[in-house]
Amino acid sequence: MTTPEIDRTRLGALAEPASGDGRGDDVVFDVRDLSVSYSGNVALKDATLQVRENYVTAFIGPSGCGKSTFIRVFNRMNDLIDGARVEGTVLYHDRDLYGDGVDPVEVRRRIGMVFQKPNPFPKSIYDNIAFGPRVLGMKKGLDERVERALQSAALWDEVKDRLKENALGLSGGQQQRLCIARAIAVEPDVILMDEPASALDPISTSRIEDLIHDLKRSYTIVIVTHNMQQAARVADMTAFFSVEVRDDGGRHGVLVEYDRTTKIFTNPSDRRTEDYVTGRFG
Amino acid sequence: MARVEFQHALDTLEAALQDLGTVSLRAVRGALDALESQDVELCDEVIAFDDEIDDRYHRLEKMVAQLLALETPVAGDLRLVLAILHGGIHLERIGDQSVTIAKLTKLSATLQQRAGLVEGLHEMGERAEEMVRVALDSFASRDVARARSLVELDELIDRTNRRVAGQVLEFVDDPASAEWGMRMIVVSRCIERIGDNAVDIGEQTEFVVTGEFREFGDASH
Repeated sequence: MTTPEIDRTRLGALAEPASGDGRGDDVVFDVRDLSVSYSGNVALKDATLQVRENYVTAFIGPSGCGKSTFIRVFNRMNDLIDGARVEGTVLYHDRDLYGDGVDPVEVRRRIGMVFQKPNPFPKSIYDNIAFGPRVLGMKKGLDERVERALQSAALWDEVKDRLKENALGLSGGQQQRLCIARAIAVEPDVILMDEPASALDPISTSRIEDLIHDLKRSYTIVIVTHNMQQAARVADMTAFFSVEVRDDGGRHGVLVEYDRTTKIFTNPSDRRTEDYVTGRFG
Repeated sequence: MARVEFQHALDTLEAALQDLGTVSLRAVRGALDALESQDVELCDEVIAFDDEIDDRYHRLEKMVAQLLALETPVAGDLRLVLAILHGGIHLERIGDQSVTIAKLTKLSATLQQRAGLVEGLHEMGERAEEMVRVALDSFASRDVARARSLVELDELIDRTNRRVAGQVLEFVDDPASAEWGMRMIVVSRCIERIGDNAVDIGEQTEFVVTGEFREFGDASH
């Protein structure tokens, strides 16, 4: 059959690609040749990647691949571990995160973190959220700030009538959303999540995932997850880390592939990524 | 290798595609034989046989749905499952084209034929049949170069198809042959579509191997 030649310049709006939503235009973290060791033992070697603004970036990989080590570099949590050594460059909005004069406390205000196990303070729901702002001197309009944080974390409707009750009385899923609200309350720029849903049931997990979708409009999110389908569902970009065995028998984590999540889960470039995401690993 | 059961399910699915290919090819062969011999009984058999093809296609489709739901394949596995579903649809359509050829043959059995045109259609049909075989073999062996060779084979069929209308126009003034000629234009078009379906299956081979979907030439237009 003959094919009519199509002049694409005359297709007008039909030929236009869908317009982007503006997310991902700027770089938040620019990491180059990052290596982390604990007491001389290398945990992660030579990782280079950029985290883009208002993107959800997922770190996946087997145990010991350095993904949690990496995420802790972003808010200098490794500083708290004796013998931890961070090498390479970590720029945060073009500023050296590990440079002289950078205050780790200010870093952690801007770059909040949510952990695997919900860890509310043994205080009231209200005080859990108000704690950070109070410490940081953000005392003006505290009630509104608490409400806003709880609303952003999709918890307000469930707790608005019992703000004075102990936070430990909440369910696991509610406690985790409380921790997210607590991170949001101090107006961070980035939220780091280390396995935020791995201790939760499927319904609470899907609430957290919905929340991540909402939060990415306002925040840049980096999430470590063992659940590959979770990475596939929530992340714009996915980094796959693996374990490399050295000649001396030691092991360390390496960044194998970093790309759009759709690419990682439909057509990864590296065989190791393919083997891991398809479950052929090991 | 991990996921032994999953791999077994993938292998079973791929075998089901090849099996569907085998029965679709049987329908093509039956339709071509009926066309050549004007065997009305054989036409009926080809028409009835389509249920067999449809059943196999629906079984394949169900297997794909189960695999997607239960095993959530990704990356190369996902591409293979999608390509098998896609290939299955094309094989089922090849069965439908064979049915149309059989029905038209049946309708034309009492009409006056032109030997030259019948011969041309048969040759065209054999080429289409060969194309389906190449498509299935190259898919099984993940042979992208062989899958791409389908474009050239398809061009030969397309060229013959374009000539058929001209040949019919030459005897359209003869009322005894005109109706037969009109029906043969549709038969020719059916054979040409079988070739296109084979090219489409070939494109799926490249998709499975490279992860990129590209149309081979303009076969689908």
